[in-house]
Amino acid sequence: MALFLFVTVLASFSSGTYPSLTGEGGHHITGVKNGRLNPKNFAATPFATPGLRQNADGTYEAFVVAKAFQFEPAVLKVPVGQPITIHVTSADVLHGYFIEGTNINTTAIPGQVSSFTTTFRRPGTLNVVCNEYCGTGHHNMLGGVKVEVQEP
Amino acid sequence: MTTSPIHSPHAARETPVISDAAYLASLKKVTQYYIVTAFLALFIGVLIGPLQALNYGGINVYDTPIIKGLLKSYYQGLSLHGVLNALVFTQFFISGFLLYLPARDLGMRINMKFAWFTYALMTAGLLVAAVPLLTNDATLLYTFYPPMEGSPLFYIGAAVMVGSSLLVVGQVVNMWIRWKRANPGRVTPLVAFMSVATWMMWAVASLGIVTEVVFLLIPWSLGWVAGVDPLISKTLFWWTGHAIVYFWVLPAYIAWYAFLPNHAGGRIVSEPLVRLTFVMFLLNSTPVGLHHQYADPNISVTWKTMHMFLTFLIAIPSLLTAFSVAASLEDAARARGGRGLFGWMFKLPWGKPTFSAPVLAMISFILGGAGGVVNASSAFAPVIHNTAWIPGHFHITVGTATTLTFMGISFWLIQIPQVLTAIGGVMYFYVLFRMLLSKRVDDGEVTTPIPYSEVISPAGQDLAGSSALVRFTEPLLALWGMGCGAAAGADDVRPSAGPPVCQR
Ligand code: HEM
Ligand SMILES: [Cu+2]
Ligand SMILES: [Cu+2]
Repeated sequence: MALFLFVTVLASFSSGTYPSLTGEGGHHITGVKNGRLNPKNFAATPFATPGLRQNADGTYEAFVVAKAFQFEPAVLKVPVGQPITIHVTSADVLHGYFIEGTNINTTAIPGQVSSFTTTFRRPGTLNVVCNEYCGTGHHNMLGGVKVEVQEP
Repeated sequence: MTTSPIHSPHAARETPVISDAAYLASLKKVTQYYIVTAFLALFIGVLIGPLQALNYGGINVYDTPIIKGLLKSYYQGLSLHGVLNALVFTQFFISGFLLYLPARDLGMRINMKFAWFTYALMTAGLLVAAVPLLTNDATLLYTFYPPMEGSPLFYIGAAVMVGSSLLVVGQVVNMWIRWKRANPGRVTPLVAFMSVATWMMWAVASLGIVTEVVFLLIPWSLGWVAGVDPLISKTLFWWTGHAIVYFWVLPAYIAWYAFLPNHAGGRIVSEPLVRLTFVMFLLNSTPVGLHHQYADPNISVTWKTMHMFLTFLIAIPSLLTAFSVAASLEDAARARGGRGLFGWMFKLPWGKPTFSAPVLAMISFILGGAGGVVNASSAFAPVIHNTAWIPGHFHITVGTATTLTFMGISFWLIQIPQVLTAIGGVMYFYVLFRMLLSKRVDDGEVTTPIPYSEVISPAGQDLAGSSALVRFTEPLLALWGMGCGAAAGADDVRPSAGPPVCQR
């Protein structure tokens, strides 16, 4: 019984029902290896220019940098109904990346990249809050995700 | 006090004799110092709580002149609140309480000079850590995750304070081993068994935070090494950080198991079950820490899942506790004429704070435990992780269940309950009124003695004659770190029948 549960839980992790947060979420990121990067050298990675990008194969990836006391980009614009792999890291101390009203809730850790794939199904704006204490301005560390309908 | 007959086929225990009243008094003095220090810390820590609550309610009091002079920010206050309440209050209280109980229960002498030295060292560590906390140089919250950096004094003070609790472990375990040597083939009395198991659990549990602070944070904060790995530090923190909650609740469980039924005029439902519960905590408290890191990247999901399952496993001894303590109370109430589905509850001695405080604490813990099961699930965790749900969870567990039980226990151990009354009243007005309206008690133990194990324990004296589970759990204690009971003498602890758990 316990074994059965254990296997099913592991399966839900690996099938992505619950994100495993390991590695690069099935993508290749320059300058990132096994989900790790040099926090002092973002220049060598796409985190140097945070935001959404569309790859040659049509997939979407978004790069988010958390630093005291803001997110970059402050508002992440994403297309509705498309699977997007979001990569989050920190430029200084620990931060949180919580998209309100969803179960997207991960820690931004310097030197580590948190990668997960999600699909935003409804257009609109979602609030992002930093929910890991990061210093005097922690409570002002807010951001957003703007889910947009794409122009045809 | 009427105690319903204990149906035990075994020989009754002899009460351990500490005829030396002066020794007992000096033992109690050291305990009282620990406990008063603990409540002083709680007093300061808890005063900040309402300021935070008001802030949540949209009222900012941090800009008023008085508070501005004392606290630079909400977060400085929160750091003080968390450290003083959750780390200082608990550790000092437990160090006093669980030094006194086993020494008294086993009738053993301890080196009082060493006990005072430990108290002094722990207090010194506290004072050193308090300086940067008060000067806003360690506003890191009680989790102090690097790479956010505080003054080295904070880490050094914390290391000394937590490290001194290991000296208490040493003193209690040493006392128990001496008792085992002097009493070959005897069952460890229940109260002492529970106390020793709790300390052993803490010795294993504390290694994580001690390693983190001593080997990573202190060298880094002093500038000896350039950096520190935030992820590994966090894992080491939660090695201790989860098990510490059992360090907070097991002393309360001791009071619930051993003292409550007795005060209600009943008995423990099953003593072997109590021993099993504590052994389960001893073995299973630590390998669950990753449930605090479900949201963290680059930790293997297999390990996260294993820790999730072990977390659900460790809920079992708590469930055993909830049901068996409740059953023993019902048993006591019915034996005194209690009737009905709920009516029996009125037969319980609610008027005694040593009874009512822990029972109310247990009720709070039912909700706390249910919430904990939600937290433990990796599927629910992302919905509640680092939301206001979490402070909600730990205020009804450590903030109420542990704190309220400790307040109840203090009635036995402290001469001036009025002081505690005021503190308790800030948070728990039921207890406030009970305490305010109760008469001054000079020595709680005179009116309502803490029961000795022999009063409450049907296990009997001899390992050979006791039930299988009692025989089986005893060597598990000895297994811990002692090189299979070598120090205690394997003959003493090996079950005389059943599996040869320990061989020399
Ligand atoms: C008057 C009673 C109390 C009130 C009103 C109160 C209120 C609060 C509030 C509002 C928070 C803030 C949560 C946040 O901003 O993240 C908090 C945090 C906390 N409280 Fe209390 N509290 C009380 C008593 C206690 C007690 C008795 C304990 C433990 C024995 C305790 C332990 C903690 C801890 C560990 C934290 C987290 C600190 C941190 O995040 O670093 N509190 N409390
Ligand atoms: Cu932040
Ligand atoms: Cu935990």
